[in-house]
Amino acid sequence: MTISDIPSALKTVIDPELNLNIVDLGLVYALKLNETTRQFLIEMSLSSKFCPMGESILSATKNCMERTFPDYMTEVTLVWEPEWSYKFISEEGLKTLRGY
Amino acid sequence: MTSISHHNPLYRIVVAHYLLAGLCFLILAGMFLFSVESLSGHYFQPKILALTHTAALGWGTMIIFGALYQLLPVILETNLYSTIFPWISLAFFVPGIILLVYSFWIFDPGLYMQIASILVLTGVIFFTLNVFFTVKRKKRESIFQEFIITSVLWLTLTALLGTLLVFNFQFSFLQKDHLDFLRLHAHMGIVGWFLMLIIGVSAKLVPMFLVSKYQKVQLLSFSYYFINAALVSFLLSAYLQGIVFITYVVVLLGATGVSFYLFYLFKCMKSRIRKEVDLPMVKTLFSFLLLAAGMLVLPFILYYHLENHRLAVNMSTLYGILIFMGWISALILGQTFKTLPFIVWLKHYEHLAGNVKTPVPADLLNGRLLYIQFVAFFLFLVTFIAGFLLGSIVMRFMGACSLIVTALSYLFHVIYLLLHKTKIRNYDDI
Repeated sequence: MTISDIPSALKTVIDPELNLNIVDLGLVYALKLNETTRQFLIEMSLSSKFCPMGESILSATKNCMERTFPDYMTEVTLVWEPEWSYKFISEEGLKTLRGY
Repeated sequence: MTSISHHNPLYRIVVAHYLLAGLCFLILAGMFLFSVESLSGHYFQPKILALTHTAALGWGTMIIFGALYQLLPVILETNLYSTIFPWISLAFFVPGIILLVYSFWIFDPGLYMQIASILVLTGVIFFTLNVFFTVKRKKRESIFQEFIITSVLWLTLTALLGTLLVFNFQFSFLQKDHLDFLRLHAHMGIVGWFLMLIIGVSAKLVPMFLVSKYQKVQLLSFSYYFINAALVSFLLSAYLQGIVFITYVVVLLGATGVSFYLFYLFKCMKSRIRKEVDLPMVKTLFSFLLLAAGMLVLPFILYYHLENHRLAVNMSTLYGILIFMGWISALILGQTFKTLPFIVWLKHYEHLAGNVKTPVPADLLNGRLLYIQFVAFFLFLVTFIAGFLLGSIVMRFMGACSLIVTALSYLFHVIYLLLHKTKIRNYDDI
């Protein structure tokens, strides 16, 4: 596994209601790697505050990264700026949701 | 953030309400079977009072209580004030409903009915306090919050007036006829509680489930003010003057309010990104057509009432069937299978997600049960309403049987979900 595999790894984390991954949903805002501490720092948001699936999506992101990159630690930070909107969904994501 | 994980006390609270509501729905369907003949007469009679209170309290309100404990944190974006209050509320509410329905069924308007009304009212008060204190924690105000708070206020007033009516059977202290107050009690419940609450919750959830681009809330504000203005005008005019010509204006005001909301739903539907609409959402959207159908009956009730025609009573019963057994039931049948799979999913998979391949909440559903329930409910509506309009007891009986199939498939499906066994796959095996 290399750093370039991160997006495809994160694409295995699915929003359970929409059945769409968090990358295409536009929930991942920033991804940083600290080689000194061997730690990934992920800044991400949720489609709504107090989303019932929120904790699950955040822990799934952390679990997914630590499973894919066992030699690295991962810290996931929840941010609300900018507030997520449907405009953040990628073209691929829109195609999945629309079904065409 | 909040969620219903395995150890979260909300899980047991919500599940208890869903199971009890499912059971009440089955009992309600059974009561329908034994009341097919009574439904031709006046609505102010023991069996219909028992049926209405089973539907409104045991089925509709019970499941709304449970769903709200789950959804309030999502809609208001804050934690629920208390997880003890729901149990206290339930401890008063359940025996209250059983005793009240039994007292209506055998029509014993004495001590037991009075105790029952106090128990129900106490249960409602504990629920109301929990909602108020939860809202108080919230910093940002929203139209969704206004709908919810207002609906809960109307619920308390409905329960209070209901209690007064029960005591009035024995002590006759109310100045006007019992039926006049019954009309006020029913509309406080239908419009103030159910309609306000359902609009407030669905206006937030429907766009979320459909991934709608429509974000404006102006239509909802119009809806809020029109419906409340209509309800207050109705209560005042009906109390002071009874049903008179001006009631048409009140109905028009209320219908305009509902139309604003239905237009909001239409805009959400039209601008949705997610094109596929699943069966639970189809039922949810179908329920709003039944609400519109119920609203269309209102002018006929008024017309026949003003003409002193016997059809006024039949139309009122039809209105009640469309509202309780059509709109509210269809909505519950749909939304249960949007919300319950989430609760079950969180219990089984929240800690596993990301480590192993898990199903999504929709995978937990049983498609066959969902389909049977949909068809049986549709058959119930068609045969029961046709039987009612045509005066056919056989059709009404067939409708009641379909309702039993609906209730059985609903309860089985709820139990099926609650008995779900964790199913996972390793990513390496895929």
